[in-house]
Amino acid sequence: MSLLTVFQSWFSPLGHFWSYAIAYFLEAVVGLILAALSLIIMIYLFRKYMARLQRRIGPNRVGKYGLLQLIADAMKLMGKEVIFPARRDDLPYRVAPLLVIFGLFAAFFIIPYGNIPYFGSLTISHSDVTVILLFAFMAIMPIGEVLAGISSKNKYSLTGAMRAVAKDISFEVPMMLSIIAVVLMSSARTANALNLQSIITSQVIPYGILEPLGIFVFFVATVARASHTPFDLGESESELVSGFSTEYTGLRFGLFYMGLFGSIFLGSLILSVFYLGGYHGPFAGSIGWVWLMVRAFILVLIFFTVWLAMPRIRIDKFMDLGWKYLLPISFINLVISGVLTLGFGW
Amino acid sequence: MDSSGWTELNIGPQHPSTHGVLRLKVKLDGEIIKDVEPVIGYLHRNAEKLCEMSYYCDNLIYFDRLDYVASMIMESGFLEAAEKVLDIEVPERAKWIRVIMSELSRIASHLVWAGAFGLDLGMLTPFFYCFIQREKILNIFTEVCGSRQQTNYMSIGGVYQDLQEETITHIWEFLKQFPEKLEEIYKLFIKNDIFFSRTKDIGYLPKDVAIDYGVTGPMLRASGVPYDVRKDEPYLTYDKVNFDVPVSQKGDVLARFVVRFEEMRQSARIVKQALEKLPDGPYFNPKGKKSLMIRVRGNGEAYSRVESSKGELGTYIVADGSVRPYRVRIRSPTFKNLSVLPVLAKDTMIADLVSISGSIDLVFGEVDR
Amino acid sequence: MANVKEVEEPKKPVPVFSMIRGMGMLGKNLLRKPVTIQYPEQMPYIPERFRFRIFLTLDSCVGCTLCEQVCPNGSIKMEHLDRENPHNKRKIYPGVNFGTCTVCRNCEEICPTHAIYLSHEFQTSRTKNSFYYSPEELSKPEHEVLK
Repeated sequence: MSLLTVFQSWFSPLGHFWSYAIAYFLEAVVGLILAALSLIIMIYLFRKYMARLQRRIGPNRVGKYGLLQLIADAMKLMGKEVIFPARRDDLPYRVAPLLVIFGLFAAFFIIPYGNIPYFGSLTISHSDVTVILLFAFMAIMPIGEVLAGISSKNKYSLTGAMRAVAKDISFEVPMMLSIIAVVLMSSARTANALNLQSIITSQVIPYGILEPLGIFVFFVATVARASHTPFDLGESESELVSGFSTEYTGLRFGLFYMGLFGSIFLGSLILSVFYLGGYHGPFAGSIGWVWLMVRAFILVLIFFTVWLAMPRIRIDKFMDLGWKYLLPISFINLVISGVLTLGFGW
Repeated sequence: MDSSGWTELNIGPQHPSTHGVLRLKVKLDGEIIKDVEPVIGYLHRNAEKLCEMSYYCDNLIYFDRLDYVASMIMESGFLEAAEKVLDIEVPERAKWIRVIMSELSRIASHLVWAGAFGLDLGMLTPFFYCFIQREKILNIFTEVCGSRQQTNYMSIGGVYQDLQEETITHIWEFLKQFPEKLEEIYKLFIKNDIFFSRTKDIGYLPKDVAIDYGVTGPMLRASGVPYDVRKDEPYLTYDKVNFDVPVSQKGDVLARFVVRFEEMRQSARIVKQALEKLPDGPYFNPKGKKSLMIRVRGNGEAYSRVESSKGELGTYIVADGSVRPYRVRIRSPTFKNLSVLPVLAKDTMIADLVSISGSIDLVFGEVDR
Repeated sequence: MANVKEVEEPKKPVPVFSMIRGMGMLGKNLLRKPVTIQYPEQMPYIPERFRFRIFLTLDSCVGCTLCEQVCPNGSIKMEHLDRENPHNKRKIYPGVNFGTCTVCRNCEEICPTHAIYLSHEFQTSRTKNSFYYSPEELSKPEHEVLK
């Protein structure tokens, strides 16, 4: 029993094709709402957590305990005057924030969320190659950032975009190599090694314990993907004003902002799916979704602490890190996991 | 040099990392900085001319606004010169109070610098810990004189109000918890690998270049010159207290950081000694009363040097026998220190430019005057 | 030189572990109390000597114009006010422009009769161009001068 079949049974009079189409659509909406809800909770949590680390109180004026602060901020962003730079490259300029947010939400559909009470499984995509799909969608986001930087016709934005490209190339390779190690391990256990769901079910021992190097590389790469300090090279507030999003105002800027928080959340979801056993836990049959969220939120807090404690790394040092340290480490990790899988049969 | 492919970039006056209104005309080759030209003057208020237009006792408020994060030191700098011109003695207790307030001001100024430097490098959190400590100092300032930043506390012939017993206990309380908290902030920076890589061997300032450019203060001491006006030409009662001049031979941004933190520890030491040695007696010379001050005529000329938190502050006053100074000239330390920025930032990256200009400790009230 | 302290360069931290320790040091602050003062409900620490608004006792003002002379930036202007006061034959009293007042307290110090003095009052919000207080307004408490 899953959410999909429940929806499908509601619309079964429409015939096989239409009922499944509507059911997939509705399930996507439900998944999106849950993801957006967790995103809002996450931003609220970030503000409160940051405030307490810095010995402040955080938002507490709008609504009880400042719960409505984010909605107020969104309204403020919507109400702002939209300023277009005069010499912009129009189409890429408009498309860029949408690309970022599209890549983010498309990636959210791929994640297997596990079970929710009463309805059952809340896994939207049932493709057999979800790993490839997931990283394909995630690869859309940097395109948006680069387009934004180039089309703004601003020197700060351009420098930010150049940095973003350099950053993306140097961390994507180790990231993919560490994922290949995971796929390699799961291929020994299941037939569908490229399916996220079977990766989760094959994790009797979470892969993070078997591959400590892999989880380290992936963690660093996720910080770089989300581009917050220490790796916020594309934006780097104190150097490039706001990097590629310098020329954006109002809701378009809000989309970039959401892209930042969304990719932290997405990163922690992916990290918990690949390395920490996803929705495994007691009563996973009914509340698996909760276990995934608990894992993700603990990871999110770790990401926030990294964000708040670290200074920004210099771009050439980051390239060094990516190519001289992360890449060899991920190769070693690949070899180790191969030995573990084939040699010991773990 | 082929400069055809260089990008010209204006950093500032409105930019998150230029403290105040510094504008840097930067020529970039990709990310490498080929040329930097600081453009100043966006905060020019004509302070020197304003000083010539008002009474000696009124000049203090312009000095408060020079270096607005360490206003007490600025005041003492002006008064050193003005009291020579007006020939007014300062009671011993007032001198000690001035030492206490100057050193507290120095701590506050360095704390602001440390927090802002962290923000420049992208560290969001230490800023708040620095400002919590600074807030305690500002509360002490409010207790002694009623204002937080533009204190106008010292006046010709002493200080405006006496130090109360209650305030002294508050200063002791502050000093008691301060070293521990300072150590915590220090470790937060120094135990970080990325902070290390952002500061070590960045912006190397050789000894001779520093002397050539007239660099003073912590920047000079970080380059290995043990020059401190408090030691070399003691004013107030600095010859009666024990303190060390921190010097580092490295000359990079990290050395400046470490030297400033050591200076804060030494300042706390000075305040402790000053509180112990604080004598009883008058805090104010009645010859410096305000009603006399608008009639008193200065004679001759005087130059004073004090060690501000940024470097050597020089004040030159020429009196022509009228109630107002004929000429006031301010040698502001940050202006001289800023002039070395193009040398330091050449052939570095944009990220280094930010950390170098942060390490100079720029306060634009002082640079532009 | 006797009192020169050579500051040693700190040791290079161990790459990953020192960062984790640094994050732990941040975590300590989660348990400490916030230092925020929520202004309208909670008052900040206001010591006894805290000064802001200038008050004027009309009866003891002698109209000597010393405060006008000593004011560093001309915030105080003498103003004619028709009022019976045997000490103040010229019938001039100071009016203060709080838009430019720097709270330097010179006027309080110089006043021979303590007619002009500063008080704790600091909640003086005004609309633009209404910072000027006439002598009569200066003598009233803040809630009576609301414009």
